[in-house]
Amino acid sequence: MLEFRSVGKSFPGVQALHDFTLTIETGTVRGLVGENGAGKSTLGKVLAGVYADYEGEMLFDGKALGFRSPRDAQRAGITLIHQELQLIPELTIAENIFLGREPHGKLGRLDRRTMERESRSYLERLHLDIPPRRAIKNLRVGEQQLVEIAKALSLDARLLIFDEPTAALNETEIAHLFHVIRALRAADHTIIYISHKLGEIFEITDDVTVLRDGELVETRPTADWTERGLIDKMVGRSLTDLYPKTEITLGATVVEADGLSLESPGIGRRGLKDVSFIVRSGEIIGIAGLLGAGRTELLETLYGVYPASRVSGRITIDDDSGRYGAPADAIAAGLALVTEDRKNLSLVMTSSVAHNITLAALGDFMTAGVIHGKLERAAVQRSIDDLRIKTPSAESNVSTLSGGNQQKVVLAKCLLTKPRVLLLDEPTRGIDVGAKAEIYTLIGQVAADGAAVVIASSELLEMLAICDRILVLSDGELVEEFTQAEATEEKIMEAATRAHRSRPVAAVQ
Amino acid sequence: MTMPISAANPNPRHRARELGRFALRHQGWLILLIILGLAAVASPTRDGTIVFLQPANLLNIVRFASVNGIIAIGMTMVILIGGIDLSVGAVMALGAVVVAKGLMQLGLDTVPAVALTLAVTGSVGLVNGWVTTRFNLQSFITTLAMLSVARGIASLLAGGYAIPLAFGDRVDAAPASFKAIFAGTIDFLGLELPTSMFFFIGVGIVATLLLNQTGFGRHVYAIGGNKTAARLSGVNVKRVTILVFGACSLLAGLASLLHAGLVSQGSHVDGVGYELNAIAAVVIGGTLLSGGVGTIVGTMIGAVILSILDNILGLNNISSEFQLILKGVIIVLAVAIQRQQSSNRSE
Repeated sequence: MLEFRSVGKSFPGVQALHDFTLTIETGTVRGLVGENGAGKSTLGKVLAGVYADYEGEMLFDGKALGFRSPRDAQRAGITLIHQELQLIPELTIAENIFLGREPHGKLGRLDRRTMERESRSYLERLHLDIPPRRAIKNLRVGEQQLVEIAKALSLDARLLIFDEPTAALNETEIAHLFHVIRALRAADHTIIYISHKLGEIFEITDDVTVLRDGELVETRPTADWTERGLIDKMVGRSLTDLYPKTEITLGATVVEADGLSLESPGIGRRGLKDVSFIVRSGEIIGIAGLLGAGRTELLETLYGVYPASRVSGRITIDDDSGRYGAPADAIAAGLALVTEDRKNLSLVMTSSVAHNITLAALGDFMTAGVIHGKLERAAVQRSIDDLRIKTPSAESNVSTLSGGNQQKVVLAKCLLTKPRVLLLDEPTRGIDVGAKAEIYTLIGQVAADGAAVVIASSELLEMLAICDRILVLSDGELVEEFTQAEATEEKIMEAATRAHRSRPVAAVQ
Repeated sequence: MTMPISAANPNPRHRARELGRFALRHQGWLILLIILGLAAVASPTRDGTIVFLQPANLLNIVRFASVNGIIAIGMTMVILIGGIDLSVGAVMALGAVVVAKGLMQLGLDTVPAVALTLAVTGSVGLVNGWVTTRFNLQSFITTLAMLSVARGIASLLAGGYAIPLAFGDRVDAAPASFKAIFAGTIDFLGLELPTSMFFFIGVGIVATLLLNQTGFGRHVYAIGGNKTAARLSGVNVKRVTILVFGACSLLAGLASLLHAGLVSQGSHVDGVGYELNAIAAVVIGGTLLSGGVGTIVGTMIGAVILSILDNILGLNNISSEFQLILKGVIIVLAVAIQRQQSSNRSE
């Protein structure tokens, strides 16, 4: 039995987990659901020893847990299977499984034979028929995940935490994973299953616990939940209130992408193949697809991030045809991009809120290169008021703001360039529910003012609520297009994974 | 019983933190004051007066601080964009040789000789910036290579010897106007102030305005804080980088004119170790070596502090070898303190 007693964890400015008390029976699968930032992943990480500085206490089979590191937790039989896998790509399966505790023979020689024999037995338990000598980099993501589970078993894990394990898996792989999870449960292992995907939660878990804003909302046996009820508990109000969709009359075509292709920009990055679509004035388009399907690359290609030599096809903005060799050209043509990773790609963390807001539109406040201070300050104050950015002052360092307010600063910067086309990549990642609703309202206003909006997101529920059309990417190709009326979560997932199912063995990423 | 509540009376911890923040923001001035006090105390006395505080000695400090300070102002901009320029000392030598050769051997007048020097040194910086951005190299490597190249060219031009500058009316002498402009003095309220000081302050004002009031300055801070974000916000990172390296070398060229005037010669071994002096002034002035944070005023104070340190050690007959060792220690200490502060701030 696993017990949490008043467990709390805070980060600078955020209480990620607050007074969390919960009991999980041995030999059951417990689902943890909640919106981004609800505290699910934090809970998993606290349990697995990633964060040592938490409040409260945790007991596993009556023994108090206190880990300084993930290694400690593994020794105590607790393993976290991360969203991003933690294996070393260059090493073999056996070497990864026994990393740091390799068996040695006489004279200190590495005992490969024992390593491989034992590895094979663990792989067989997981019905994985792959030679243990194969390097991790030659495995598919689903197979890599099973190797992680094999590693956990070899460490005698009693408790396994899965954090969004299916984000990059196809249906066959998911079925295999669920088979393994059921077998683990039958062998009296305890499983914590964290996921956004409610279909999976209903399929695999015994009980479901809902978290919101770092607090426990409710636990019930899975059979007692309905999908609707679960969603309402997750968001704390009904979805239509949260993502208001204003009716906008669509205008002329603003963006036309014709046969857009991109050479893969690097290892592990997806290229694009012959993507064509249009976006009209006032329209909000969603780009869906699995992790690594090319969502980010599509936005970045439109925005001129990649050298022109890697891109082919045509982009037309308001009858103005061209491809942009640099973001500066794209901005001049009326595009703006809210990046996925605001800390590393969008914000200058060493600068003030004001300087971040005006960075992309400085030209509007300058004569002969000299900044007109009064004009700039007025524009910054207008942005802070319009977007309701909570900051002590315009001169405060942007790093002192909360995630949601930082995201509003990024949005303010983009809007100040008066974009004809607003591109947004995961615009609500890692921000709280209230800020999410505000950001979606703002996006609606931008569209109502006549801009074309393109959103790439892994949050299907949010996209279903606010997008007029949803395009589905798979392996860099546009595979399906749904209107808002047609689209459902199931149809989109089906389209996103279709290509994977028809392809026998190919690296997913 | 009720507690009296007063907005004007925050708790003592809060006040201590405010005080700490105030000290942090003005740390350059604080250190300068402390060093001035220590120097006055540590100074030898002659005939009952403190040598350190003699006007002649103070002017000496200013003169040295000016040459180093002008180089350090250029270095500040380079460090602000997250780079470093190790070639400034060598560029200064190149500039000194070019101006000496121009004035003495090519018979140029002051204006063309100065223009030639600034053009040559400025171009060196543009090359630094171009190579760094074109081949995506660390500026550490590019400018280390340029250090070698510039000193080599300087040596070739000078033929391996220092070129003395003789001023006067003779046909083969350098024009007196050069000495008046770069190594002269200006009578200011009865004080004979060196012209180098006015160059120093002038460059400081121009650079401050450039960084604070122009789009170029804003781009400099943005690149140093987050190069990718700057690029995605439409900043032409390459152009700004090339211009910043150009400006840095141009200022090293200006410093070479002051130096040549002061010592009346141009030599390929001028300016050895000056890159270290400049970097020391920048970090003492509070500019983050990682880029994105720093001020010109801080660097100017840093240059003055260094100059005072050198001076007081010299007055006490402490060997120049010891001064070098001390400078190294100071740089490491200043950066270590920065690290400490920025890690506290991010918490």
